[in-house]
Amino acid sequence: MGGKDRYCRSNKLQPYNNMLVKFHKTFYSFPSRPSRTREDDRIFEALGGVQMYDQMKLRKIFGGALLAAALAHGAAAQDKPDSLDVGVFTFMSGPAAAYGMPGKQGAEIIIEQINADGGVGGVPISASFVDEAQGAEGVLSEYRRLAENGTTEAMIAALSSGHCLALAPVADQLKMPTIGWNCDTHQLYQTGEFDYFYRPNGNTIAEFVAFALYFLDQHPDLKTVAFINPDYSFGHDAAEIVKAAIKALRPDVKVVAELYPKLGSPSYQTEVSRLSAARPEVIFSNLWGADLENFVRQAQPRGLFNQSNVVLALGETILERIDLPEGVTVGVLGDGMWNSPTAKEIGRAEAFAEAYREKFGENPIFPSVKMANAFLVLKSAYEAAMEENGGTWPTKDQVVGALEGISVTTLTGEVTFRADNDGIVDQIVGTTVKPEGAEHVTIGNMVRYDGKTLLPPEGEDALAWISKLTPEFMDNLPDAGSYK
Amino acid sequence: MRGWVSWRKDRCWITNCSGFFMTQTLIPLLVDALANAALIFFVAVGLTLVFSVLRILNVAHGSFYSIGAYVAASLGLWIVSIGAPPWLTFPALLLSAALVAALFGPLIEHTLIRWTYGKSEAVQILVTFGLFLILEDLQRLLFGVQSIYSDTPMSLLGVSEIGGIIYLNYQLVLVGLAVMVLVGLRVFVRHTRTGRLLTAVVADREVSLAMGIDTNRMFMIAFTLGVFLAALGGAMATPTTGVAPGLGADTMVLAFAVAAIGGLGQVEGAALAAIIVALAKVLAIYFMPALDAVAPYIVMVVVLSIRPHGLFGTAQTRRI
Repeated sequence: MGGKDRYCRSNKLQPYNNMLVKFHKTFYSFPSRPSRTREDDRIFEALGGVQMYDQMKLRKIFGGALLAAALAHGAAAQDKPDSLDVGVFTFMSGPAAAYGMPGKQGAEIIIEQINADGGVGGVPISASFVDEAQGAEGVLSEYRRLAENGTTEAMIAALSSGHCLALAPVADQLKMPTIGWNCDTHQLYQTGEFDYFYRPNGNTIAEFVAFALYFLDQHPDLKTVAFINPDYSFGHDAAEIVKAAIKALRPDVKVVAELYPKLGSPSYQTEVSRLSAARPEVIFSNLWGADLENFVRQAQPRGLFNQSNVVLALGETILERIDLPEGVTVGVLGDGMWNSPTAKEIGRAEAFAEAYREKFGENPIFPSVKMANAFLVLKSAYEAAMEENGGTWPTKDQVVGALEGISVTTLTGEVTFRADNDGIVDQIVGTTVKPEGAEHVTIGNMVRYDGKTLLPPEGEDALAWISKLTPEFMDNLPDAGSYK
Repeated sequence: MRGWVSWRKDRCWITNCSGFFMTQTLIPLLVDALANAALIFFVAVGLTLVFSVLRILNVAHGSFYSIGAYVAASLGLWIVSIGAPPWLTFPALLLSAALVAALFGPLIEHTLIRWTYGKSEAVQILVTFGLFLILEDLQRLLFGVQSIYSDTPMSLLGVSEIGGIIYLNYQLVLVGLAVMVLVGLRVFVRHTRTGRLLTAVVADREVSLAMGIDTNRMFMIAFTLGVFLAALGGAMATPTTGVAPGLGADTMVLAFAVAAIGGLGQVEGAALAAIIVALAKVLAIYFMPALDAVAPYIVMVVVLSIRPHGLFGTAQTRRI
């Protein structure tokens, strides 16, 4: 089929041929081709569609080749963008903002510091913050909007475990490298394998087994325990994990009350009465954010902290906000304590804390540090991918490739990714102590558990693994107070 | 045998070890229920009062609760920060509620609410819902998203031990205040001129108008009183709780449930329903924590299935 036939299938259309030619001359000329002479044009017009078709064909061949070359080049390496655009998901409103805002503030500080040090491979980070308080549907649509805007290169998402569970498959679908800066739930990698979703925090198994080990070690004659956890998967999972550990290690310990107030509950007065009536020796709680602060403010005047030993898994977040008594077991869910001995040894956390204090007037709490560590993991992945790539800007696939099995020294320790993309981090647990002259209590009598020993092997059911823990397992762990 | 004894102590119920049950469970349970009911009553009675006089289900009522809480917390913190005597935080609670009522009551009744008189219920609900959304966002803008705490009044009053459990004296004061509000409303409605005029308007709006009663003024008074009661609930709640965005929505839903159970427009109904709902919540927390959040609505379903117009309401009843 000739070009003429292609454009003018009947004689009736012949008059339009020249128009088509002019149209193509106007809009389909090679930009790199030297401008045509009038002679060229005359010949071209005389030859009409045939010439044009041939030229079109050539253009297609050349264009296709060029496009393929460009794509191939792009696949191998890209030009450095003006900025490394990152979508950051956290709670900026509602009760969860008490945890989410320190995360956002941590992001702001670490971005400033990374950019001041020359950015990521010379490219400054630019963050778009998304409020998770809008709910899962809003979070998903914001994630998609950012992922498809053509400029966002990676995501740091999210705070809520529910949002992480929803986002992980979408990250794979959109092929978007995503660092789960907080997602604690162990269900994340038990429900599926995700190539683009990496979590540098460990998970609820390591976190809550650590607390169970600590308070069982602290109370050798323990007989009764009670729970007050938030009424969603994070709270229920934590209770199941701690109960499983108790059942395996001290089967004679009884659970005398289990309370699950709804997330964002303003009043805990009845729960305090219930716990007072149950008189447990240990009260375990993984309440967090404003819920935790509310509970402590309401429970403390009513003597609950004098009556029972209280374990606040996320207690470090309120140490400088409330006058907690001494002897409360608190932790940081991981190793994100800016002034831990390891953080001091690494030497980068103090500068982070100083900048944080200067800007926000308070010390960073562990959500801030967790967020900062997530950025450091992303930075390391980019740098590793660039190194692998001969110094050129990596593709998203190359970034994800670099995250596989990477080990990163963060502000507060070391994180290593397992094959299932779950990070291994140490767990710090301690008890509140008030140094002489100090304004607030701080964490003392600390232990730093090796994260690897607190995680079940990949693919093994987490609760089944906990049920196999033995007293000998406890004997081989470091003692409380050993982390100095 | 040892296990059995220990089980009985843990699971003590009415039929066994009644002394233990009385002290460890029944008394705390009742005290908790009354303390909870007091706060719910303030807001529910305001809602039901506005409905009985204006015939409007005010969805924005919960916002006045949270605004009252924010103003009281801010005022309390300010009093402490300037070094004024801490006992001033008590009158500040009442003052906050009065301020919110004086500012929002006449303003909103004269503008938005008055515009909805005679319009369909759907329009009234949509307008008040719109107002609720605007007020919620305004609170975020003004007070931020972090929780605010102002617990000086609670600390000043100290604690008491009841049934082996430590209670805040402030919680007991709340119960007393709720009783005072209930009695005060009764006295106001039955023994004051304005209260009688309100009753007349409730009984028959058209005839009242024909008799020369300034119904617009009555509407404004009733709406402002409703705002005051909601704000009072919020203000009185601040010493024992944190104030954060979302407080208004939660309270509103609970207030609706209480008002519906008691019978819309029924002051005594609101009081009784508040106690029943609070008791249901407390029982759930004590014995079936999984039902805590839904307990009020289970009660509502049961009551409305048996008495569709609530405990005190009838299809034709229009009284306060």
